[in-house]
Amino acid sequence: MKYVDEFRNADLARAVSAEIAGLVDPNRHYKIMEVCGGHTHTIYRHGIKDLLPDQVELVHGPGCPVCVLPMGRVDEGIAIAERPEVIFTCFGDMMRVPGSRGNLLEVKAEGADIRMVYSPLDALRIARENPDREVVFYAIGFETTAPSTALTLRRAKKEGIENFSVFCNHVTIVPPVRALLDSPDLRLDAFIGPGHVSTVIGCRPYEFMPADYGKPCVVAGFEPLDLMQSVLMLIRQLDEGRCEVENQYGRAVLWEGNLKALEAMSEVFELRPYFEWRGLGFIAQSALKLSADYADLDAELRYSTPGVRVADPKACQCGEVLKGVLKPPECKVFGTACTPERPLGALMVSSEGACAAYYNFGRKSFEKVEIGSR
Amino acid sequence: MQNDLTLVGNCALDHDGCVVCSDAGIPVRVVSIRGDDAVCEDSAGHRTEIAVELVAPVKAGEILLTHGGVAIGKALDAEKLAAGS
Repeated sequence: MKYVDEFRNADLARAVSAEIAGLVDPNRHYKIMEVCGGHTHTIYRHGIKDLLPDQVELVHGPGCPVCVLPMGRVDEGIAIAERPEVIFTCFGDMMRVPGSRGNLLEVKAEGADIRMVYSPLDALRIARENPDREVVFYAIGFETTAPSTALTLRRAKKEGIENFSVFCNHVTIVPPVRALLDSPDLRLDAFIGPGHVSTVIGCRPYEFMPADYGKPCVVAGFEPLDLMQSVLMLIRQLDEGRCEVENQYGRAVLWEGNLKALEAMSEVFELRPYFEWRGLGFIAQSALKLSADYADLDAELRYSTPGVRVADPKACQCGEVLKGVLKPPECKVFGTACTPERPLGALMVSSEGACAAYYNFGRKSFEKVEIGSR
Repeated sequence: MQNDLTLVGNCALDHDGCVVCSDAGIPVRVVSIRGDDAVCEDSAGHRTEIAVELVAPVKAGEILLTHGGVAIGKALDAEKLAAGS
């Protein structure tokens, strides 16, 4: 396959679908988790679920950084944004994540100087252009995004820009997956690994899945046929009794990852001893903070954020959905009190959040579950 | 030639999803290089400046994967991919 048309070719998709259907053991249930929110989005946008036999169940993982951010971290960002000397910058979806007292968009409407940026480098540019203001970037994301923050901090330090700082909420992908595998709530058979996270970290970090837990993993691209082929590769492994890490997305992912990006990250960040994940609780060494060399650019230190914990609204079942225990339409407030226009839980905010993906593209599946479960 | 960008994925610089949650890596082609940055063009012809020091050295014509204004990887070129497919 060479071009994108082929990655969306209906005849090829039907052929792969038939091959999967022919391979599955009719008496077995295959529970496969796609770790990444981008994969969840592709699955619902392109109706991939309907191309798979009933024996294959896709479970949505914790790979949406906006969705796993606990409410306390949103509140702390808002507290910084409300300071009169601060220009607060963040990615677009972050603006709508609910904190306990509203979201960043609402705080902006009340007069706070909050600006949406496409890149942390845009935030650094704003700092250069406004030397009399303090510019804070709300950093969020897995290892795909962390290199851009690292590179920005390196440039800020090199240029001696003192009115710039980063509120770091970067997380890492392996610890939550390990926590899910240790969880008694969920029994999974295999994993679809995140494509662009793996562009940075490579495939080697997933070797613990087959080695420690006996679960195969296939790193996948983001086109519909990428995902179909990855499911096929996993079913083949399971049926043949193989258990290994395979790379379906070889056109963008090297086994060893991007060493320069990893080096920048290790210079700028260090692991936090623990970090709270929405729905998953505290997970050891699962997030990044700025290293001692970059402490002067750390907004957490500059503004002495207190590290408050805020419980999710009682009606919100994001935690169960994040762990794959509940499907989004099985949540009590899905599509009623919680919609993309007025999200109660974070999973409804980002278009890659499992609930928003279901809401926007999975209505057919939604109706099926509704009828069967109530 | 421009279609070679879609070897990696059908995502362009006006990508309307969440930058971080979609794990987005946008394929772009290097047009010209200015120090640690490069002017790059996506499959729709949009141009923007991308930081390229994490994938250096780069040369004009190469396909990069970008995320949040920073190149995080290089795509295999069309010939290598065609040879391997």
